[in-house]
Amino acid sequence: MKKSLRWGAIVAAATVTTLALAACGSSGGSSTDGKSIKVVIAEYSKDHTKKFWDEFAKTYEKQTGVELKLQVISWNDIDQQTSTMVQNNNAPDILNLNAYASYAADGLLYDSSEVLPAATKADIIPAFVKSGTYKGKFYGFPDLSSARALFYNTDLFSKAGIAAAPTTWDEFVADAKKVEALGDGTVGYALPLGPEEAQAEFAIWLFNNGGDFKQDGKWTLNSAANIKTLEFLRDLNVKDKVTQNNPGSTNRTDGAFSLFEQGKAGMVVGFSPLQQALADEHPDVKYAIAPMPSGDGAEPQTYGVTDYLMAFKKDGNKDAVKAFYKLYYQADQINKWIKSEGFLPVTTSGLKEFADDPDLKVYLDTLPNIHLTPTDDPEWDKIKLTIQQNIGLAVGDNGDPKKFLDDLQAQAEANK
Amino acid sequence: MTVRSEPVVRRRRRERGTASVVEALLWLGPALILIIGVVLYPAITLVATSFSSYSITGLRKGDAGITNYTTFLTSPDLPKVVGNTAIWVAAVVVITIILSLGLAQFLSKEFFGRRFVRWAVIVPWAAALVISSQLFRLILDYYHGILNQVLLNLHIIPQPIDWLGDPHFTLPSMIAVGIFVTIPFTAYLFVAGLNGIPGDVYEAARIDGGSPWQIYRAITLPLLRPTLLIAVVLNMIYVFNSFPVIWILNGSNPGFGNDTLITYMYKLAFRSAQHDVGLSAAAGVFNVLLILIAVAVYLRFVNWREGSKNA
Repeated sequence: MKKSLRWGAIVAAATVTTLALAACGSSGGSSTDGKSIKVVIAEYSKDHTKKFWDEFAKTYEKQTGVELKLQVISWNDIDQQTSTMVQNNNAPDILNLNAYASYAADGLLYDSSEVLPAATKADIIPAFVKSGTYKGKFYGFPDLSSARALFYNTDLFSKAGIAAAPTTWDEFVADAKKVEALGDGTVGYALPLGPEEAQAEFAIWLFNNGGDFKQDGKWTLNSAANIKTLEFLRDLNVKDKVTQNNPGSTNRTDGAFSLFEQGKAGMVVGFSPLQQALADEHPDVKYAIAPMPSGDGAEPQTYGVTDYLMAFKKDGNKDAVKAFYKLYYQADQINKWIKSEGFLPVTTSGLKEFADDPDLKVYLDTLPNIHLTPTDDPEWDKIKLTIQQNIGLAVGDNGDPKKFLDDLQAQAEANK
Repeated sequence: MTVRSEPVVRRRRRERGTASVVEALLWLGPALILIIGVVLYPAITLVATSFSSYSITGLRKGDAGITNYTTFLTSPDLPKVVGNTAIWVAAVVVITIILSLGLAQFLSKEFFGRRFVRWAVIVPWAAALVISSQLFRLILDYYHGILNQVLLNLHIIPQPIDWLGDPHFTLPSMIAVGIFVTIPFTAYLFVAGLNGIPGDVYEAARIDGGSPWQIYRAITLPLLRPTLLIAVVLNMIYVFNSFPVIWILNGSNPGFGNDTLITYMYKLAFRSAQHDVGLSAAAGVFNVLLILIAVAVYLRFVNWREGSKNA
């Protein structure tokens, strides 16, 4: 009896020690010893993202002798996970995200003078340097970009007797009505204003109506042009009835794009990854791409998005981070990555390399003059969330576009 | 033999009384560490977080006092969210209990194929909630969902219904799915309870000439009371805390009109304009207190102690 009691105590003691050690192991790791860096990457696609970065990690480790700990996280979770990492004082060394200004404002990031080779900075397209610059310092290094354009289903267009893509909003509504009239569940325009990417849809329409989110350093969220734009989008749903059911609850990827991929939508605002998906999985959908129709008679404007690779300031990680950027911005790395994901380049050298791709020509021409959202203002990170969460309500039956934008403007000004 | 065995018994008794503190701690250690690590530490962190102010990036900026609590409690969306939560918990728990009582009666009878039916009932429980919810998202989809197609083909509805987008249908649809995934556990709890009722009680009742309904009311239900209590309390907590059903089915809707306190708490931390873990932690503390109070009120109301004594 005594013997077995002792033995049990030893087992218990061993368990305690193991648990305690395990607990220590998981809570450590906030400091960097220069032997490894943690790189958190957003998952752009199941097939390509991890593949590229695994290879990249191998090359990096061979070159530098520093271990690259890679974490690929889905877009749905990345915001929550990185916020938790920062909260637990366990931030990554390199983070890939669609926002950076809040991190820069919190003083967490290296700026370009500390970690980015001067030649690389000079190579990055000026529009992206501008959007990556917060208070005069360049923190948000772009990893890739995309630009939006109007996709239209040519089969449906010819069935409806439409010869060319619309160039004005009036033509757009008329064409959408003709496509909608084909019946059999066909919708004129697939309008995604659900929480996933509503700010992008809103942005491209308002840029093409002379609107903007911010002008001369001041928020202009409830400008007349913006209100008119949102009222137009609501009318598409409520008055003209040329959209799919409930655009305020329709997300882009599983809603609007999927309708277009099934040949059920006459038009949708798309970007190059949609082209890739159509070519790979829906080759029977015949479509063409055109510049956005204009609401104010001006030249069509292109809305673009860039995501960022930012570097967190930590003791002893500067050299490893520097080496990371040096390798990433080498033409054979960055352009291979952008090509595999079907996006657009962010460097002038990349523009030249992509120039002969006929699929991308429609975007590349516009890239240097691209319109971006004000990602260089930390306040935008919150404005964006409000648009994503609530704009859908403003385009519904009981929606009030003006009130929504007035509230948004009040929110932006209150936090100034 | 007898002489030799006596001291052994005495030694055993003495050991029990004088086990040293260290030895006792070693024995309790694993359980204590688990409790501290899994229950106590997160709870303390939650409370500490709720009194701190955080940047949108997750960086702690300093103490917040009670501002997180006042901001949360005065949020204009809160009344709607609390109302949704009350409807969601009450509807799912009550309907689940009623349906499960019937189902359990059925499952505890002998019939051909009973084993198969029992398996069929337990499958939804075995499947991960996220998967069940995704499946229902497909079934209820406006354009491609099978439910709309079936109802349209049977001419029950003239045009498709937006089960997950129309404000009139979203909460009821979520409640239906909630019931579907809650029934298996509850039904099996009742099957176990019914099996625990001795057969001779029923025999006596039948000899006394009780009708089936009388027997059910006078014998089955009272004897099932402890099981019923457990089923209600556990389901109240499970359903209140249920995240995946609402998160996934309500995923593409704007605003907070269909959220319960649990999904609202998540949105406060990561999706809303506030994007504030401190505020969300305050919501978390509020949620824990609310469900504890709700359970306590319920137990008080049904006179829990007396119930278990009778049983």
